[in-house]
Amino acid sequence: MALLAVENLEKKFGGLIAVNDISFEVESGEIFTIIGPNGAGKSTLFKLITAFTRPTAGRVIFRGEDITRLPAHLVARKGVVRTFQETTIFKEMTVVENVIVAHHLRSRASSFGFFVNSPKARRDEERFRESANSIIEILGLDAVRNEQARNLPHGYLRELGIAIAMAAEPKALLLDEPFSGMNPEETDRVVDMVRGIRDRGITILLVEHDMRAVMRISDRILVLNFGSMVALGTPSEIQNNESVIEAYLGREDDELGI
Amino acid sequence: MNYALIALGLTLIFAIMNVLNFAHGQMYVLGGFITYYALRVLGLPFVVGLVASVAVLVLIGMLSERLLFRRVIRVSTREESTMLLAAGLALLLESLILLFFGEKQRGMPPVISGVYQVFGVYIPAGRAFIFAIALASLISFVTFMQFTRPGRALRAIAQDKEVTALQGVNINRYGALGFALGAGLTGLAGSLLATVFAVNSGLGTAVSIKAFIMVMLGGAGVVSGAIAGAFVLGFLESFGYAYIPGSMTYMLIFAGMIIFLVFRPQGIMGKPWG
Amino acid sequence: MSSGMQGNRGAVQASNYGLWKSLVLAVCLVIYLIVLPAYFAESRYVLRVITTASVLSFISLGVWLTFTIGRINIGQGAFALIGGYTTAILSTKLGVSFWVCLPLSGLVAGLTGIIFGLGILRLKGVYFAMITLSLTEAVRLGFLSGGDFTGGAPGIPNIPLPDELKLFGITLVPDFGEVDTHIAFYYLGAVLLILGLAVIWRISSSRLGWIFESLQQDEELSRSVGINVARYRVMAYAICCFYGGLGGAFFTVSQQSIYPSVFGVPDSLFFILYCFLGGLAFVAGPIVGAFLLFILFELLHELQQYQQLIYSVIMISIMLWLPNGLLSLRLPAASWRSRNIRD
Repeated sequence: MALLAVENLEKKFGGLIAVNDISFEVESGEIFTIIGPNGAGKSTLFKLITAFTRPTAGRVIFRGEDITRLPAHLVARKGVVRTFQETTIFKEMTVVENVIVAHHLRSRASSFGFFVNSPKARRDEERFRESANSIIEILGLDAVRNEQARNLPHGYLRELGIAIAMAAEPKALLLDEPFSGMNPEETDRVVDMVRGIRDRGITILLVEHDMRAVMRISDRILVLNFGSMVALGTPSEIQNNESVIEAYLGREDDELGI
Repeated sequence: MNYALIALGLTLIFAIMNVLNFAHGQMYVLGGFITYYALRVLGLPFVVGLVASVAVLVLIGMLSERLLFRRVIRVSTREESTMLLAAGLALLLESLILLFFGEKQRGMPPVISGVYQVFGVYIPAGRAFIFAIALASLISFVTFMQFTRPGRALRAIAQDKEVTALQGVNINRYGALGFALGAGLTGLAGSLLATVFAVNSGLGTAVSIKAFIMVMLGGAGVVSGAIAGAFVLGFLESFGYAYIPGSMTYMLIFAGMIIFLVFRPQGIMGKPWG
Repeated sequence: MSSGMQGNRGAVQASNYGLWKSLVLAVCLVIYLIVLPAYFAESRYVLRVITTASVLSFISLGVWLTFTIGRINIGQGAFALIGGYTTAILSTKLGVSFWVCLPLSGLVAGLTGIIFGLGILRLKGVYFAMITLSLTEAVRLGFLSGGDFTGGAPGIPNIPLPDELKLFGITLVPDFGEVDTHIAFYYLGAVLLILGLAVIWRISSSRLGWIFESLQQDEELSRSVGINVARYRVMAYAICCFYGGLGGAFFTVSQQSIYPSVFGVPDSLFFILYCFLGGLAFVAGPIVGAFLLFILFELLHELQQYQQLIYSVIMISIMLWLPNGLLSLRLPAASWRSRNIRD
């Protein structure tokens, strides 16, 4: 059974169709990338899957369960966690605090337990601290762990965003343009990092523009244009696909990155 | 009609500075009192009183913006500061009004005496005159906002401050203009309405709240919103007072507004905010 | 410079601060609970001022909590009224003991808060402020129009003083009618404030405080990591209203009357001002703010008509020069902040 299945998903804004009858499945352990020109509906698709906006038609099924109608925080609870395009972080906290706070989902104590600092709450804090430390190490944030997030040099912001998402122990991690604005070295680092996350058993969905990175890292690629599916397949299939090349014709050549 | 003027003043200030001008009501009262003073005490013609009110209020608006608000916006980390500053300003104005003009309610004779008959309804000439002035001001204001350069600049700032600044518009100067204009409008409204109803120093808060309701209902930051809100409130008020005991009217208006805002937080015309 | 040594110095510093804090706290408590009432036992006026300031601080603590979730709550006056009227109606019409009325008032206010909160908490910034402002007015008007039930404009007079509180046959609190009421209310106010502060401080330094903080900074992000934003927002707001209700109940019995204009828009604004003056980053902020401003206001009483004028000038000056609150001046934020994570 596929980990995540999207069936006939549609999103209309007034007269505009942002996402038009999209269906696909993502297997557990895959790195699945969604690409397409600007405005193709990629981010909207992400928002639909993670319930930050409601579809006008279609379903989202995660591990066999229909999560379409669930509110966003419950979707996260089910294990589908997203990052944000405009690297969203908690600015007024330090890096460590950011990651610890994000562990909320994994707490076993109740609100009252938090209040009275029950044994469960204390054990939660211990676990969170350890988990936060290991996440910070994996993502290479150790050097800046006590920095205020708003002072973070730009290069670390993305890692922090991912760290926050990882604290929620996702089974499916949705990364929104993790490679944007990166030079080749940084891209390499992020490629390794993403692979490392996948190796930990987390399935990854990417939305991305940087074709080089996409070709390197993806198991399968979904191409969107004007909200509709254009092609779905492995990197080599996509590279040789005519409709894909057509969809990108008339746009900047370096979007293809080939 | 006058409500529209008040609402416009508030919306303008809000849109430009993102400040909720708590002192709005007090500015209105001040406008009324200045006109009263000019008329009754100094014996000057109405027009002079009107102009004086507007002038003084414009001055106050500019000064407030320059001396007070600009600094607080720069220095404070939270947006509540400006609100509290405005509240402080409101208190200050109210105290000054009390000191200079006393507590008593002041009325003025209608500007023009006599009665017109329009479509079989008697309208006091004074009211008609006021209405005409208000309407004229409203139209000139809307025209100003739509067609002149400063007007368009103000609207641009309301839409997106940063982008407008990037285009070389001097935000500070327009902030002062916006505030001054907003204050002036309110002063005008106060001045006009003082001839119809009376002014007293206690009106301030009530007027402010009415202004807020109009802006909230109609949609903050949008000129059409303020006008829409004003009409809705005016209508609800007349309707309410006619059929329901006094204090209940406003309570129902409030309750209705709260429910309305829950479902449509941007008001009738407002832009959806983040 | 080895990190071990730095760590040690840090630990020593931390424990020094901790010691300092406890000492200051103990001294304050002694002054508050013993020295002041003893010294001013004869001066009813002073006692009343301190008592009022205490309960005003208590109510402001609630507002402070809503600040921590990033909302500007100008509606606390409404809930003080609701709490006050609950006590008034229950005790005059049904003869319910004050000690039952008190928590009930808080609960009624809190529950009402939940209902309103569910609707309005999705608003933010100025919109939320405006709507809570309207709430204050609306509730006031509501009580004004309540006819016989709420007594209309004159309100409800002759509210009985708190009676005896007996538990298992032991008199915990004597009947207020039989002791010096000023001292009695003083202590009631003091206990309320101390307990109230302790609870809010505990909430804020616990995980709940961190959750609220995350809501304040980025609700969407919190949502994406599974935080039930709606639930926690309402929680904070309901607690705030609960405090408001309790405070209102207190004033109702200490004045022994209540009428619709007891708490209005100016009061709601003052609560905010108190939080502000003390400093929004500090739990003790509202207390410092309330005491300072209220006492100042009373001192200015002499000046009659200039009172309001001077008050407003002071208010404006505060905004101009101290927009981040008094406490932020002397105390480094790190050690006195309500929450800190030691690494």
